Amino acid sequence: MSNSALEANQKDSVTRNRREFLAVAGAATGALVLGFWVPAKQISAAEDSGPTWYENPEVPELNAWVVIEPDDTVTIRIAQTELGQGVWTSNAMMVCEELQCDWSKVRPQYASVNRDARESAPEWTLNVMGDGAFDPIGGGEPLFRGREPVRGIPDSLYRRMRTNEASSVRDGRYYLQLAGAEIRERLLLSAAALWDVPVIELTAKDSIINHEKSGRSTTYGKIAHLAAETPHPNPESINIKPPHEWTLMGTEQNNIDVPAKVTGQVVYGIDVRLPGMKWAAIRACPVYGGDVSNYDFDAIRDQPGVNSAVQLPIPDPSLLRGRTFSGSVAVIADHWYQAKTALDKMTIEWDIPSEFAASNTADMHRELVSVMAEAGNVHMDQGDVEAAIAGATQTLEAEYSTPYLPRARMEPGNATVLVTSDRVDIWIGDQSPQETRRSASLITGVPEENVYIHLCHLGGGFGRNGNGPQAEQAIMIANENRGTPIHLLWTREEDFIGTTYRAMGVARLRAGLNADGWPVSLEVRTAMQEDGFGPTSSFDTASRYYAPNYRFSSHSTKFHVPCGTRRGVGQAAHEFYRETFIDELARAAGKDPYLYRRELISRTDLPHRDDMIRALDLAAEMSDWGTPLPLGTARAIALEEKGVEAKGTATISAMVHTVSISKEGQVRLERVDVALDQGFSLINPLSVKKQIEGQIIWFYNDAMHQANTVVEGRIVENNFDQFSISRIKEDPPEINIQFFKTEHWMRGMGHDRATSVQSGISDAIFQITGKRFRDLPFSQHDLSWG
Amino acid sequence: MAFDLEVNGNAYSVEADPQTPLLWVIRDQLGLTGTKFSCGIAQCGACTVHLDGVPLRSCRVPASVAVGKAVKTIEGVSLDGDHPVQVAWKEFDVPQCGYCQSGMIMSSLALLEKNPNPTDAEIDAEITNICRCSTYHRIRQAIHRAAELMRA
Repeated sequence: MSNSALEANQKDSVTRNRREFLAVAGAATGALVLGFWVPAKQISAAEDSGPTWYENPEVPELNAWVVIEPDDTVTIRIAQTELGQGVWTSNAMMVCEELQCDWSKVRPQYASVNRDARESAPEWTLNVMGDGAFDPIGGGEPLFRGREPVRGIPDSLYRRMRTNEASSVRDGRYYLQLAGAEIRERLLLSAAALWDVPVIELTAKDSIINHEKSGRSTTYGKIAHLAAETPHPNPESINIKPPHEWTLMGTEQNNIDVPAKVTGQVVYGIDVRLPGMKWAAIRACPVYGGDVSNYDFDAIRDQPGVNSAVQLPIPDPSLLRGRTFSGSVAVIADHWYQAKTALDKMTIEWDIPSEFAASNTADMHRELVSVMAEAGNVHMDQGDVEAAIAGATQTLEAEYSTPYLPRARMEPGNATVLVTSDRVDIWIGDQSPQETRRSASLITGVPEENVYIHLCHLGGGFGRNGNGPQAEQAIMIANENRGTPIHLLWTREEDFIGTTYRAMGVARLRAGLNADGWPVSLEVRTAMQEDGFGPTSSFDTASRYYAPNYRFSSHSTKFHVPCGTRRGVGQAAHEFYRETFIDELARAAGKDPYLYRRELISRTDLPHRDDMIRALDLAAEMSDWGTPLPLGTARAIALEEKGVEAKGTATISAMVHTVSISKEGQVRLERVDVALDQGFSLINPLSVKKQIEGQIIWFYNDAMHQANTVVEGRIVENNFDQFSISRIKEDPPEINIQFFKTEHWMRGMGHDRATSVQSGISDAIFQITGKRFRDLPFSQHDLSWG
Repeated sequence: MAFDLEVNGNAYSVEADPQTPLLWVIRDQLGLTGTKFSCGIAQCGACTVHLDGVPLRSCRVPASVAVGKAVKTIEGVSLDGDHPVQVAWKEFDVPQCGYCQSGMIMSSLALLEKNPNPTDAEIDAEITNICRCSTYHRIRQAIHRAAELMRA
């Protein structure tokens, strides 16, 4: 379809007033298309007071989550952002399980961020599942976190619209199951009233209601209009199904949006096209905290397609959870490539803070090491660590380090924003739309109730905070160009400036072993910059491996690189330190690293101790642990866990990595055996397997290839030529995954599994080459042998 | 200036600087947004299209190079998703975020068109696109499956 035809199609859609239109040519087929609204008055600024998100205004919604069409198509609203973790499918499964509708006719749709600002969740849903609520079989409780000053949990309509911490299933299940159950009950009540029979005599399955006695049946679609007018008389009495009653949840389901992903029809933020839209390319000061001192727009004013330029201040850190990015200049043009080409030709002078101008990662690393000598923040001091080390038969000390790392998602940062006098519309793939809504309001002065965020799929996530100021920059540009939709798109290089980083970290571990090789003392010091999502979570307050004397202190300093919650957060570095050190202790003790771990865990009184042992046992068994391997190949085992120090939610896994290294030093991850806790049930085991497969390679990249360095205050590696990402040839040929049931509810699966690839490769390198490396990535070292 | 392009069998007249990368003409002039931008330096392959059947990274190829040649994008493979490569992709539920998958499918299709039964080593050599979600494990399985379907 030509551009003009596309626009004509869009204009036609707009004139149909609120009918959905699709941004991509040829996309309007079937139930798997992702669409979004264009506000009817997107060019004019006329008042808009009506509902904003109804698929088909003639069909009333049953509650905020569900619309059932006469043909039994069920639209389920999704309040998280799909970024590859499968949330469109798993969230829909949770509603569908209770609704007992026909899964093949379910169509997900993003929930309205605007309604979330205007409406509250029903009171009765808050009492059931708020903070402190327990699962019906005692499996744990949701881990809602405070979200001041942003409105959301516990009471806004869609409650938790953020997508982070691998917690969409963990925290959403209660109210999503409840949303489905409420509608099922009301549909049954409507049918009972229609037929004048007791509701208890009715059954519901796959969108069909049967009354066996009279042989009558109807479909959800036929009576949805009645149910819409039938409130539940006593909604507090509605219970959600316990896991043993699930029929859809817990089964492997292909992801519902995959068909649109293999035809190129999914609408990501970058694909949004609006009539009259202009494109913006931007350049931010490459040193964080820096600003623009001067720029020469006159030199590029006459370049093809160029409209204007706008200088943006350093985005208000309070809109970005305290992070300081940079001032920037944006060029606005008819097409993005025109804007980018002109911007490349424009001279910009920067005002770089002198204290950052010479900073570099070598100095920063030295500073982190030096702060470990200071008192620090002591989280645990059990027994007398120093005395026990002094009396030990053997002592070991090791220093580890992990670099700055970005998320480097495939879709560069972008957002499309239209600001008018009384309304803001934003099209964006966003992991925190409730916070973006607040940013839009504070930047433009338009109240949050008049901010409309049209969510798109994200081309990768890997850490909520990593989105940086993509929305804030676009809102500021559009605010300077009111009435014109502005699509801001970062280059890849700009994405490396606009993202947040996993903080660089160091750790020093010391242990004393007794004559039998068991630790009598363990001392851990970690250091990270203070806003680095690590100082307090970069090791265990309660040691996972028993030592009668145990001390953990964290140490911090200040650096200017903005840090955020990258996939794995503190866990990734922390488990690299811990598991590598345990391997070093086992080898010093002359013991099998699997049995050494097993024994030391069994000596603890951690609430999830037995499940950690089960994970190790299963992974060892799966891998044929102990059987001979060819020369140049080795196995390494490690524990991964989150939450085992307390009762309640936890995720536990163990993995065995079989690694080969050629004499020339070429590393190959040959095989991974994964034993994974599934709690009392997973929702979609297929999505979990995919997440595990992906995380194995994610942490393989962390172990082998990836690091960002800072020179003269700026990030050096800013595109995929310098920042290496593995290709298919490095994928392990064999990945075996087995789940085992436990009695707790899961923490999540999408971000801190497979951290053990790091310690696994480290120990395999040691076994094969005799060299022990403690700083990532390993590709910086000579791994040749023989 | 104006020039003509043939994309997915359709003729287009494009008004643009002929040095504009083919990617941006496809996405912004023709509105075919299935082809993605990610690195801009021909590293990642998210922008892979076929030019007379040969896969190339369209972010670094001037649109003028495509004049007189047949361009194929993901939209030209099959909009219904019934091409064997797409069928195999769905069978193994390959995509996660999906952003790289148009390019992955175009690279895989080009491989399968010249090599109906690729070995793992041939896949390793030919498929050099980046997937940050790391769906590689399923991509390999899906390529083998697509090869079976295409031979059938």
